[in-house]
Amino acid sequence: MQSRHLRDGRILLAPLTIFLLAMLGLPLVVDLIYSVSRVEFRTILSPEFVGLANYRSALTSESYWQAAWFSLRFGLACAVAQLLLGLFLAIFLAPLIDRRPWLLAFLMLPMMVAPALVGLMYRLILHEFVGVVPWFMFTYFGDSPSFLGPDNAFRTLVVVEVLQWTPFALLILYSAYAAIPKDVREAASIDGAGPWQRLWRIDLPLMAPVLGATFFIRFIDSFRVFDNVYTLTGAGAGGATTTMSIWVYEAFFKSGDIGRAVAASMLLLIAAWVVLSIVHRLSERRA
Amino acid sequence: MNLLRWLVFAIAAFAMNFPVLSTLVTSFKSEAEIASNPSLWIHSPTLANYLDVFRISDRFDILHYLWNSFASSILGAGLSLLLAFPAAYGLVRFGTGRKWLLPLVANLRAIPLIVFAIPLYLVYARVGLLDTRLGLALILCIVNLPLVLVLLVAALRDLPVELDEAARVDGASTFTLLWRIILPLAAPALATTMVLGFVYAWNEFLFALMLTTRNAVTTTVGASFFFAASGGGVRWGIAAAVMVLSVLPPMVLGLLLYRRIGRSLAAGAVKG
Repeated sequence: MQSRHLRDGRILLAPLTIFLLAMLGLPLVVDLIYSVSRVEFRTILSPEFVGLANYRSALTSESYWQAAWFSLRFGLACAVAQLLLGLFLAIFLAPLIDRRPWLLAFLMLPMMVAPALVGLMYRLILHEFVGVVPWFMFTYFGDSPSFLGPDNAFRTLVVVEVLQWTPFALLILYSAYAAIPKDVREAASIDGAGPWQRLWRIDLPLMAPVLGATFFIRFIDSFRVFDNVYTLTGAGAGGATTTMSIWVYEAFFKSGDIGRAVAASMLLLIAAWVVLSIVHRLSERRA
Repeated sequence: MNLLRWLVFAIAAFAMNFPVLSTLVTSFKSEAEIASNPSLWIHSPTLANYLDVFRISDRFDILHYLWNSFASSILGAGLSLLLAFPAAYGLVRFGTGRKWLLPLVANLRAIPLIVFAIPLYLVYARVGLLDTRLGLALILCIVNLPLVLVLLVAALRDLPVELDEAARVDGASTFTLLWRIILPLAAPALATTMVLGFVYAWNEFLFALMLTTRNAVTTTVGASFFFAASGGGVRWGIAAAVMVLSVLPPMVLGLLLYRRIGRSLAAGAVKG
């Protein structure tokens, strides 16, 4: 029986495992080889070993660090804003949503829209002649900032990202908030705890693991962002809005520098792995 | 206090849905009105943009793009279910690979996709999968797998193990059991997961941008072509209509199934 279980278990997992090996394992091997080779589209099958030169070239490039810094700042700013805004909306709107769950449908809707299309939509909305936001600014304030200019692009992109993905934080935090047993809160009220005390002493501590998970997910997603930044500003604003993902993409498609692009993506993978293992440690310690 | 809550709800819903709302309004304006009146008010609504979208199909074939999105998303989401369902059952009931496969796939979600995009492009170029719906679907399957596997594992964990045992006593093999008993019971969870997978796949952009050029271009990429190609003179009305048509399928699914989708997303995020 035990050996049959083992066999059946393996058969059940085999298709997925083989698929992952082909679609992720193989690319990873290609990544590894090309990251230590000089290679171009013409010489794709005869890479020439160059050691760590590609890594050095990526790490000494100013634009690479600019992109890393941008992604890090962007990820942190978006994650913090989404978490706070989502938490506020989840708790403040909970009495409404409890009674009318369909309200959630409207708050969830932004998540159904492709981020790439959201980027394009803001191209229209922020356009200085036909966009509704600049029109509004001109009509009521007499002047409109250049939203996608080098000075404002970062802030604009953060707002775009936060408006689209706060619903994600809101949704998760609302379910966590709704899952807190009613009697816990009632008991606290009977003991004389006011709403603020209840929030700080009961709700937030109980929600802490979910808050952590939400922050992590939102940080990662904003850090690796490509779609909406690419469609809204491209690498425009004087390269000021190049994210890590866009940097790798451009190194590959625009410069054709395969080795360097692949080396940079390996560095990105290592960074992701480091972050993941730190988060893993933290959540283990808590459990 | 309740009034204040409604006000906050209205502002939040308006601000977060503003891009779609504004694009929807623009799509019903004539080109002349778009230039003279950028506000959210439409003076003379028209369907001209939607008719024009289909008229310019020699340069911009929206139906072709929508079909590509549809076909590759269905295929990508379906394949991820096909691979993840038996694996999830193996993980839950036999514990096979619980130590390595589940964490590996779940953590994929946190890895920047661009890491795999370049080598896959090079591999695809050699095996002839570049610019095909099948090639794109295979990648959309990868994109979906973390969420799909986590959701299915969670759903199967909730099924009572007594059912399995009863069927075992009757002499059913693992595969009969999976097909006859587990599959029908897990059908609602599978359906929700399929919808979510479809929406994620439909909205994917990076891989579609890199791996398709003509034949398999999806609607997210097609819409971005539209902006790039027209240079300075973007025809905003038609562009808006294209975007409305492109966001319609996932948004309708989201509105219809918000309860199930919301529950799944919340569960998937916390358990992942």
